[in-house]
Amino acid sequence: MIRVAWLVAAKDLRIERRSRVLLWQVLPFGVMALLLSGLALGAAHAGHSNAAPGLYYLVMVLVALLMINRSQVIEGSPGTRASVATLGLDPAGVFLGKALALAVELWLTGVVLLAGAVLVLHTALGGTLSALPSVVVTLGALAAAGTLYGALSGGGQGPATLLPVLSLPAFAPLLIAGERSFSAALYGGALLQWWVISLVALVAYLAIGILLYGVLEES
Amino acid sequence: MIKQLSQRLLGPVTLLLLALTFWLGLWVTPPDKVQGNLARLLYLHPAVAWVALYVSFGTATIASALYLWKRSRSLVMDRVAHCAMEVSTVFILLTLITGSIWGRPTWGVWWAWDARLTSTAILGVFTVAYLALRRANDDAELRARRSAVFAIIAAINVPIVHFSVDWWKTLHQGATVFTQDGNLLVHGIMLWTLFISLVAFTLLFFWLLRARYRLDVLRGERDQASLEEALVQRRREGVH
Amino acid sequence: MPSADATFDLTPVAAPPSKRRGRRRTIGVLVVLALAVLGLLSQGLLHSLNYFETIDQAMNSRARLGTETIRLEGVVEPHSIVRTSSGASFWMSGGGKEVLVHAHGSPPQLFQANIPVVVVGHFTSSTSDSFYGTQILVKHSASYIAAHPKRVQAPNGTVR
Repeated sequence: MIRVAWLVAAKDLRIERRSRVLLWQVLPFGVMALLLSGLALGAAHAGHSNAAPGLYYLVMVLVALLMINRSQVIEGSPGTRASVATLGLDPAGVFLGKALALAVELWLTGVVLLAGAVLVLHTALGGTLSALPSVVVTLGALAAAGTLYGALSGGGQGPATLLPVLSLPAFAPLLIAGERSFSAALYGGALLQWWVISLVALVAYLAIGILLYGVLEES
Repeated sequence: MIKQLSQRLLGPVTLLLLALTFWLGLWVTPPDKVQGNLARLLYLHPAVAWVALYVSFGTATIASALYLWKRSRSLVMDRVAHCAMEVSTVFILLTLITGSIWGRPTWGVWWAWDARLTSTAILGVFTVAYLALRRANDDAELRARRSAVFAIIAAINVPIVHFSVDWWKTLHQGATVFTQDGNLLVHGIMLWTLFISLVAFTLLFFWLLRARYRLDVLRGERDQASLEEALVQRRREGVH
Repeated sequence: MPSADATFDLTPVAAPPSKRRGRRRTIGVLVVLALAVLGLLSQGLLHSLNYFETIDQAMNSRARLGTETIRLEGVVEPHSIVRTSSGASFWMSGGGKEVLVHAHGSPPQLFQANIPVVVVGHFTSSTSDSFYGTQILVKHSASYIAAHPKRVQAPNGTVR
């Protein structure tokens, strides 16, 4: 399972590195969305608003939706599913691999956007850095959940529009946990508690994915 | 024989119990000490929520699990799950509407971001997403499999909604009937009316489910018939 | 050498699934899932999603809260409600502590003495027990008792 996971993750990341979609499409979108959220707050509030952690995670959720779609598009190219089925790869490994690749992409984007939050939304550098472990875990959970929902929405009619409908209700608790832990890191509060909640969500989604991904990919 | 009789009686008994609930709730039961006449929503809101969360969502989840379990896999289970989820969507919406109507005069707001309300709303979005997922897939087997997996993931939310008032401090009141210490907090005829409403709305669910299921079967038959008719026509065109 | 008309079954054969391994993994994953949820519940971590703070909680962490906006819950003390032109002032108690609330805006219709309320607002300073509220929400209990339990019905049908 682990070997398959590494193979699939390496394959997805290699495709991403060659296509540069992350660099030239997703990242600029994230930066633009962060700037727009600053504008939406208004010039007077953007620099010192308690809403900064929530806006950061909202942007990350939007970015994640783009990336999940992208991750499914890779699988949707002609013959990919058939060849994966022919190779007899363990579906749990495929799930873990795709989730890992997505998580790596989200982590990279997440770090860039954290720097953006420091610059644009004026979040304190120390607090932002101490939020990093919780950001890593929450984005990991987002990747695991997203991979599962991506598989659910792929292949049918309008997967790009179906994905947000399916995944946003499941992303809501992750958004809450992420926002609270980031807020706790910036303004004080129960940082560890929210970090653990994100960790449990990550474990839960990984477990569900390992169990059910095979059922979704079954033909 | 008994099955036929119960099927025939389901509709009339449901209507009778609903009428009894409304008569008891609006005319016979006394106003509440604190809430006055607002407490009459006790005979509507909890029953609607009971059907939304436990009866219909529960039916959809069990049917989905039975579909995924290879020994009981059949499209009948998928159809039951679909119909139950549709009814659940309507009842969750009604739960939120009746809750809002109750909340405005008692709490002072239509909506509060507390754990019970938020988790119920998220469950409602899950049911809508389930229906969207079904519409997006034409292949019956694929649709059934994906919807079943989605229903089971969404069902994780049901215990969260149920226990939200115990786990967290919420603006929403705690449990009235299923209290942790087993003490009933509703008195006299108010309690009986509440129980009758729960039975009435549960029967209403099964009545709606049966009607929806029949509609689905008829729709399937109609689609099959029109497909066959189209095939016959194409063949005729070939002959001429 | 096989004869020309010999039939070969060329339909692909799936490898038999390793049931035991699959079942072991399923059980393992379910155990991890259950442990995660139990860990979450036993640690009381979920308490962080509370809608409000009780008065004793808020008073104990008053220095940290400062003048931050919070939702404060307590019971309205009897005979303490003073209606003002802009709203109402009243004492609110909980966990053996009391807070004086100056609320702005009209309270909901169920607002009365001895009823639990949640007030949105902030302490006037980090040492004060005076709370400035911008909104009052009534948190009614889960018990339902007849308003007039001993009422009698007259022979003519009217209720007294």
